Amino acid sequence: MALQQLNTNRFEEFIYDNGEPCLVIFSRENCHVCKEVIPMLEQLQLHYEGKFGFYYVDVEADKNLSQRFPLRGVPSILFFNEGILQGKLAGNVEDGEIEEKIAEVLE
Amino acid sequence: MKRAALTNKLLVLGIDGMDPRISRKYLAEGKLPNLQKLIDRGAAREDLQLLGAIPTITPPCWTTLATGAYPGTHGITCYWRQSPDSLDAVVYNMDSRNCTAEQIWNITAEAGLKTLVWHWPGSSWPPTSQSENLSVVDGTQPGSVNMGVAQLDWEKVIVATSDIKEVRYAPRVDKPAGVGCIITDLEGTLDDDVDDEMMELWWGDTARQGGEIRTYVMDDEDTEVVIGSKVAYDIVNSPLKDATGWTNAPNGAKEFTILTSGGIMRRPALILKNEAGEYDRVAIYKNKKAEAPIVILERNKMVSGIIDDVTKKEVTKPACRSMKILELDPAGNKVRLWISNALDIANDQLWHPKSLYKQIIENVGVVPPVSLIGGEDDELVREIFEPSWVLYNKWQADCMNYCISKKEYEVVFSHLHNIDCAGHQLWHLAKTLSPWDHTDEKKYQNFIEKFYLQTDDYIGEFLHLLDEGWTVLLVSDHGLIVGENVPPILGEYGGLNTKVMEELGYTVMKKDEKGNSLREVDWEKTRAIQIRSNYIYINLKGRDKYGIVDQKDKYDLEEQIINDLYNYRDDRTGKRVVGICLRNKDAVLIGTHGPECGDIFFSIEEGYNRLHGDSISTSEGYFDTSVSPIFVAAGPGIKSGFTTKRIIRQVDVAPSVSVLLGLRYPGQCEGAPIYQIFSEEI
Repeated sequence: MALQQLNTNRFEEFIYDNGEPCLVIFSRENCHVCKEVIPMLEQLQLHYEGKFGFYYVDVEADKNLSQRFPLRGVPSILFFNEGILQGKLAGNVEDGEIEEKIAEVLE
Repeated sequence: MKRAALTNKLLVLGIDGMDPRISRKYLAEGKLPNLQKLIDRGAAREDLQLLGAIPTITPPCWTTLATGAYPGTHGITCYWRQSPDSLDAVVYNMDSRNCTAEQIWNITAEAGLKTLVWHWPGSSWPPTSQSENLSVVDGTQPGSVNMGVAQLDWEKVIVATSDIKEVRYAPRVDKPAGVGCIITDLEGTLDDDVDDEMMELWWGDTARQGGEIRTYVMDDEDTEVVIGSKVAYDIVNSPLKDATGWTNAPNGAKEFTILTSGGIMRRPALILKNEAGEYDRVAIYKNKKAEAPIVILERNKMVSGIIDDVTKKEVTKPACRSMKILELDPAGNKVRLWISNALDIANDQLWHPKSLYKQIIENVGVVPPVSLIGGEDDELVREIFEPSWVLYNKWQADCMNYCISKKEYEVVFSHLHNIDCAGHQLWHLAKTLSPWDHTDEKKYQNFIEKFYLQTDDYIGEFLHLLDEGWTVLLVSDHGLIVGENVPPILGEYGGLNTKVMEELGYTVMKKDEKGNSLREVDWEKTRAIQIRSNYIYINLKGRDKYGIVDQKDKYDLEEQIINDLYNYRDDRTGKRVVGICLRNKDAVLIGTHGPECGDIFFSIEEGYNRLHGDSISTSEGYFDTSVSPIFVAAGPGIKSGFTTKRIIRQVDVAPSVSVLLGLRYPGQCEGAPIYQIFSEEI
């Protein structure tokens, strides 16, 4: 299942208003590494239904949203819980690293 | 022979940038009643002047006040000193270990007097005496206590209207005055690169560890008058809409979004209706589920001491902020809010002893931030900048009075930076010159007056001490000039000044294909450079890394440079702009000799001066301003209602403190006590 895309208003709602525990991958269409990481996240998402959200932001479509965060290029994955940034990973991450981070956030 | 003390308790009330000439104007208009009381109770010259040290710059002058030595002797000749590795770079110099003269507070502390040195920007930090009687608070930068080390987040203006469709954030916007805060309107002017904070660059950890700072002043755009009046702040735009999803939002409340911590933290806010159905308050919350707000703001009131978490470089800490409503539409269609920078409330790294920090926080209050924004935006100056200093002045006065009344300090050396901070931002706007002819000089003249009025209130907080056995000395480091003309690109204190030296052929810059100067010195062709406000260095073989001038040619080259500087004419007015030029060996006459003063010392001629720094201490400016520092003394040991004709030099203050307290003079002191004003013959 594809990751749900967030724009500014949905971002406000899910991450801040609802305070959902989730990750948001900031990616770009023509990004080579993103094309490998996103399918991995789509797979992982299935294990976390109802427990942890998986979203993405297209940095070209939502420039202003991406400018708010300290991203060192794409892909960057930000982790949130209760509206607070809990951590970030960048580049070609492994599923193990993501799961470890999710466990930390949910603790 | 030991001398009996004339007083047992002494307060040095330092006010950076306080100018006796403009003070006398306001005194004559009856606007400074507390200063008048101090003068009536004590002694001063008729003109209230101190003959200041040269250069007319903060750390040299405060160090002179503390040591009784001239800058050439104590070695602190600017905020920075020459980098040992590069002629075009400077290194941080507000380090007491660089001072080669003994500070008076070490003598008072070691003599058994409990001594407090409060935010003294001239060789006070780190403490240089082991005496347990010595307490020191900051002194690493001139602005306000903890400003250099505790910054976690920058100032911001939030604009929320019903027309804005989504939250937008623009960090550190260098916004022209007169333009609104709607980000889509500013799109074309926004810089993709966010500059490193000046705070970090000049006063941060890297600077204080000796990292090189390389700043080139090549044209008007690089000068302080242009930069200082346009301090950037974050802008947040948010929709303003009916409150939804809240645990505790009152009926009729509308919500908007505030972003902090560089954009990553969100604080939801509400505008609240009163009984008449008008929106008149703003409430800010941690999140929509919070039971109670972090703060409720009312119109026209600046609130400080607001504690909230801030995240910087992935670390979250509680911080203190101030906030104020700039505008709130009673019908609820618009709100504008100012949020101050955030100061880490646990940062005690520049407090000695650390226990003093805890005592202050518990008994007086957390350190309030001061605003640095405003400049050409007179609304922000009036509503934010000036009031933020009123708040800070009161906190500082309360801290000092607490230390005196409850912690038994007997000698206090203190400094307050309100006037000078305003000076750097807006003094130049008190004369309409063409680069800023879109501003109104009358408004800015009124702001100058406001800063003197708030200073008078500050002085008033200490007058009670005169009846409690305290001697009070009011001093400043230098005054502040409102410039008559736009200064030449020569004499800016912040870095390497290239333009005039290029025109004269001494500094050569590398060029691009079109022949335009690049920001890079061509050392192979450069015979001399001009750096900081007053110094010219020959690019000397054997001394400098890329030296090209032979030692045997140095003297003649210096003569040639001096001739050319005296003959140089301003391209705008055709007049001479250079004041005096002295070889290093001759500059001892004005106390600017020695290894930290370059090969040639020069000043800018009266009429072309900046705020301070490039002038000699007697220079005057527009709107009855001068760069002289002020001196008034009152209390035990000082004659009452007395006017002296004695020329009081800045080097005379420290030995006067010695005599008043019955102590020895500082080891390198070059001044003499102001004995004419003492109540007893010594």
